[in-house]
Amino acid sequence: MHLGKHAHGLLAAAILLILIALSACTPTNVAAPTDNNGRTDTAAAPKEGGRLVYGLTLAPSGIDPHIDASSELGIPLTSVYDTLVYQNLDGSFVPGLAERWEIAPNGQTYTFYLRRDVQFHDGTRFDAHAVKFNLDRIASPDTMSRKARGMLGTYSHTEVVDDFTVKVHFEQPYAPFLDSLSQVYLGMASPAAVQQWGAEYQLHQVGTGPFIFQEYVPNDHLTLARNPEYAWAPSVYLHNGPAYLDEILFRFYVDPAVRVLALESGEADVMGEIPPQDAARLEANPEFSLYRVAIPGQPLQFFINTENPPTDDPLVRQALLYATDQQAIVDTIFQGYSPPAHGPLSAVTLAYNDEVVELYPYDPDQADALLKEARWIDSDGDGIREKEGQPLLLRGYVMSWGYLPEVGQLLQAQLREIGVDLQIELVAFPAAVEAAGQGLHHLVPMTFSGSDPNLLGTTYLSSNADGGFNWSKVRDAEIDRLLAEGLTQLDASARLALYASAQTRIMDLGLVLPIRDYVNLNAARFAVRGLRYDRQGWFPWLYDTYLEE
Amino acid sequence: MMLYIGRRLLGAIPVLWGVATLVFVIMRLLPGDPAALMLSEAGGSAQAIAELRTELGLDESLLVQYGYHLARLAQADLGASLFSQRSVITTIAEQLPSTIELALAAMLLAIALGTALGILAAVNNGTWIDTLVMAISVAGISTPIFWSAILLIWLFALILGWLPATGQGGLRHLILPALVLGLASAGAITRLVRASLLEVMHQDFVNTARAKGLAERTVLVQHALKNAFIPVTSIIGLQFGFLLGGTVVIETIFSRPGIGRLMVNAILWKDLPLVQGIVLFVALVYTLVNLATDVAYAYLDPRIRYG
Repeated sequence: MHLGKHAHGLLAAAILLILIALSACTPTNVAAPTDNNGRTDTAAAPKEGGRLVYGLTLAPSGIDPHIDASSELGIPLTSVYDTLVYQNLDGSFVPGLAERWEIAPNGQTYTFYLRRDVQFHDGTRFDAHAVKFNLDRIASPDTMSRKARGMLGTYSHTEVVDDFTVKVHFEQPYAPFLDSLSQVYLGMASPAAVQQWGAEYQLHQVGTGPFIFQEYVPNDHLTLARNPEYAWAPSVYLHNGPAYLDEILFRFYVDPAVRVLALESGEADVMGEIPPQDAARLEANPEFSLYRVAIPGQPLQFFINTENPPTDDPLVRQALLYATDQQAIVDTIFQGYSPPAHGPLSAVTLAYNDEVVELYPYDPDQADALLKEARWIDSDGDGIREKEGQPLLLRGYVMSWGYLPEVGQLLQAQLREIGVDLQIELVAFPAAVEAAGQGLHHLVPMTFSGSDPNLLGTTYLSSNADGGFNWSKVRDAEIDRLLAEGLTQLDASARLALYASAQTRIMDLGLVLPIRDYVNLNAARFAVRGLRYDRQGWFPWLYDTYLEE
Repeated sequence: MMLYIGRRLLGAIPVLWGVATLVFVIMRLLPGDPAALMLSEAGGSAQAIAELRTELGLDESLLVQYGYHLARLAQADLGASLFSQRSVITTIAEQLPSTIELALAAMLLAIALGTALGILAAVNNGTWIDTLVMAISVAGISTPIFWSAILLIWLFALILGWLPATGQGGLRHLILPALVLGLASAGAITRLVRASLLEVMHQDFVNTARAKGLAERTVLVQHALKNAFIPVTSIIGLQFGFLLGGTVVIETIFSRPGIGRLMVNAILWKDLPLVQGIVLFVALVYTLVNLATDVAYAYLDPRIRYG
């Protein structure tokens, strides 16, 4: 074949294409990273107007916050609903739709005095009857609420005292109530709209928030428009009155590789869950800002099955903890974007006890000593210890998300160095739930997020060992007692002490192998300003957000 | 012919019943408890999981559940999705147009491209053109679509900026996804058209047409191609199945709504009514596509007549 006179042109074009590609990859100036609690550039006055395109990472099947559990739904809906109270980033509670509240001495009754100037997006009035309607809807078995009902704890009933005063009664004191009330899952919906739409309400949601629910096409997009009547902004926000943005368009980007492509090509303004290897590149690019948001709750962790030999031996479990180098995992897989975890709660969670950091430093020699004490010796020199003719073989399940397979591989290598043969099996989530429920595992990862430490109950109460998510299968009376008391203890400092003890007890028993605290990496075009994330870490406060262009 | 079509449609009913039963059994055998899965993100207690299981009616015996299931199906009621609580029919109807759009566009592209390339190769049999086309078709068949999808997005959306990276809603959004999906299928069609055409072109009736003095193009299109296309028709039916499966990957990467993704998620999360609804629907589509293929046979080949 003879290309002739076209050869030079083609070559030039090829070189040009390669250069363009390379220039997109080379970091130029290093922009200072803006993290969640830091300020963004507020030197100029916020500009009104514009449409923000926000990238969600998975399309939840249902998006009614009273019914469904996906944290993804909270991202758009936090702007649609207001809550009775709001939670500051430091964990303190401030008035929201409730101007003030009182808690009865026995802790079983909360009295809320509501704002009188609030109306729903459909023009109906927000009042005590609306509060009762909402809480009863959540608690009703007919609603089959997945998450919100659990967040109401020992809720008994709601009493309307007058149009703007409401009493909520509990069968027993329920300490996490204010924390629950501050979350979108207990957001206040318009009773008229709920009754009108029935099962289709999730497509026509009506709240009191700074943005109005416009349209939701499942798996495709969700749009919100500014609420011009909004005049009751809580003090967690930076201004009052209507929001700055005209419109917010949420789109779904399920595949991780495509997320960054969509952001860089300008298709999206904000994108969640940026892969760590792309985060460094975006951070170095002055056209983008990287937001690292620490997530409260449990860390990325592996539960160690206490009923399945050989991990039924506490010495073996502790050896695993000493043999794990969390820092290496964090540096290799998460590019240093996450802090290593050492306990059952992440460092930003309420009641986090930092004593756990010192309990199991990376110490392979100590691991070796413990395994020898448990009489696991490598007698045949194959690198794996044996006892009574059986090799020290552990079965670990991992799911395909959250870099669990990679973490599993690195853990496998680290444990091999102390003579433990960890075999990793990649399974779909339902299979993992089934296997873990039956106790077939030695190690299995699972996590629950939330700002209140009572979530430890899901995974450490003995009542959840059969048929629940207590996958370490622990049945410890001390842990049960501490967690039960923590649930009903309304005195803040007493509560902190109870959970502090629970954390050290959990680690003493070697129930869990913590790896890293979750840090959600969000990236936005630099023109996006005033973007902050709430106490739960997943949900953006878009009310103060504006576009600088 | 009408009688034949009628008989075939009637025969679809036991097929669908069989599919419904098979799906019911398989879904029950797969690991995972829907109640636990539904409460997994919320962190439900063992008690909450047990209560939800009862509320969903999963506690009943298998026979009772099967009975309820058949009774609803007989009334064309596919029930409501466990996870979204919305009717299965509505959910499918919402997600369907996007998948149809994608599958049709990909199919048309595959047929057009495959036929054109196949003819090109057959007519230039033995030359470098033939070799090049075969190489392209092998590349099309072998390249994993998730890889080519990302590559094309990178090239056309990020580097060149000609096309949107993701989404649906118009021709511009359809080009890349249909191209990726269609290329893979086009490769297979290319090879078959080429082989089939080569075989036909050496048969007596073609030589007769040439001897009569007809132009080569007329010989090709009016005589050879129609005959060559008979085996290709059957592969198109099979390719349609491949396309339906491929839509899952395409829909995920290009962030398009669609049945493919809906079904995979439903299976993973054990959303039983939704899985059963979608599988039944796909079985129905398959039946109709097969029927259409057989009817197309009769049109293309006058020797074939159905009683």
